[in-house]
Amino acid sequence: MPQLKKETHTQQSILADYCRNGIFPEGLLDINKDNLHNYRRLCYNIAVDVIETAYPIAFSFLPEETWNKLLSEFYSEHKCQTPQVWRMPLEFYDYCLQKNICEILNFPFLNDLLYFEWLELDVHTMEDIQYPKTKAEGDWLNDKIALNPEHKLIRLSYPVHTTAPTEGLLEKKGDYFLLIYREKDTGNVQFVDLSMFYTYILENLMNGVLLKDILVEANSIFQINDIKLLKDRSLEFIEDLKRRNFVIGFTA
Amino acid sequence: MSEKKYTGIGFRKDFAEELIDSEVLKPSFIELAPENWIGMGGYWKKQLDKAAEKYPVTCHGLSLSIGSPDALDVPFVKQVKKFLDQYKVKVYSEHLSYSKCDNAHLYDLLPIPFRMDAVKHIVARIKQVQDILEQPLVLENVSYYTPVAAEMTEHEFISAIVNESGCNMLLDVNNVYVNAFNHKYDAKNFLSKLPLNKVAYIHMAGHEQVSDTLIIDTHGQAVIDPVFELFEHAIGLVKPVPVLLERDFNIPELEELQGELSRMDSIISKIWKTEHAAA
Repeated sequence: MPQLKKETHTQQSILADYCRNGIFPEGLLDINKDNLHNYRRLCYNIAVDVIETAYPIAFSFLPEETWNKLLSEFYSEHKCQTPQVWRMPLEFYDYCLQKNICEILNFPFLNDLLYFEWLELDVHTMEDIQYPKTKAEGDWLNDKIALNPEHKLIRLSYPVHTTAPTEGLLEKKGDYFLLIYREKDTGNVQFVDLSMFYTYILENLMNGVLLKDILVEANSIFQINDIKLLKDRSLEFIEDLKRRNFVIGFTA
Repeated sequence: MSEKKYTGIGFRKDFAEELIDSEVLKPSFIELAPENWIGMGGYWKKQLDKAAEKYPVTCHGLSLSIGSPDALDVPFVKQVKKFLDQYKVKVYSEHLSYSKCDNAHLYDLLPIPFRMDAVKHIVARIKQVQDILEQPLVLENVSYYTPVAAEMTEHEFISAIVNESGCNMLLDVNNVYVNAFNHKYDAKNFLSKLPLNKVAYIHMAGHEQVSDTLIIDTHGQAVIDPVFELFEHAIGLVKPVPVLLERDFNIPELEELQGELSRMDSIISKIWKTEHAAA
């Protein structure tokens, strides 16, 4: 591969650095200084637009100055790796995690909020996953239950999925479990708030465990003595997920 | 028998649904950026598949960054190749610019220094891309707002790259107009110096004049009359190729877009020998 001259490479680097950090550069040769700022503006606006579209709640919640500073630092410090700009907001989320932005800004729920907002986008756009072959008839307890494969099951420390950041999220720190899935026909993303118990059931169903076996384990783990209640509630849960088109039948 | 149409339109999510079912907007093909669709599933994948069933697809990439000083992103090019194969894409075009530098994507198009070492560097990268894609790369003359460290003219730079690499050229008529205005040269004279025998694709678009001395290539406005006039001149200099209307922002009613396509069709029918496709 023929080598670029060092000077040519340097010229390209100086312009690219300027687009990322906005600091008017020294050393660019034979440029139109009046027009150069357009490159910074155009590049930066694309990054800002993509991130603000991906994280509308965080964008509207964080003070404008704080948000702008965060985006400016991100675009300047972080080297965006994906060639697909719509995936870049994930790098913004990772950047915030690595830089511990939630503690620096004293918004402990920021990581959860960004994660939640990213997952909504991610589940909506993620690659299609082949649905399992199913049959309509079966027994919830003794047959393998088939699930919509296009989903994420996540744990949050703040209920960012039910509570606006302005409504006392800080006092609600705890364990929150959320099922996010994509409806097959519409492509719409749906959310189901889960208890720890139902999360346990769902995780096991996702691993192909029969419900009757899950309940035996659950009985000891959650120390629920009322076996009938345990079973009834679990069956209600499965029926509810069926109505929501997340449970799609029985594995054929 | 029906008269062959050459004009297509950029497939944008803003009007994807409308376009698929439209009786108003009737392009002969659609163009899309593979980066915006590779690895995408769900609702938008379904829309893409519907559109691709109805229209032939051309691709116009954004992130190849052929002028980058960095090494070529081979895994990305292989992903593009897979996408082109999947949708039977015969025209894959990109920008003669760079959008990645020192391992950081910038997501917009920066001007390459018009220099011979850059020519050699880019020619080698084009060949590498073409080897992977197993089809010619089609490179667009980009609009630019300042030269950087130029040691040759724009047309010398473009011609050297096209001639030495064997790639084809996407002639962006609006960009010629924009650059001629911004850099104070004669657009027709510029056109005459390009390797027009290598033009495989044409773009038309709107722009925004932001000052007495600067036009920004926005794709957010209707094509203006002087660009149509330059288009009429340009297509008289090249063989018949697909012509694409780019409209990325401020999307108007589909009737308006069809009006622009029809105007281009009307000009084309005057200039290019009418071809008839078998019914």
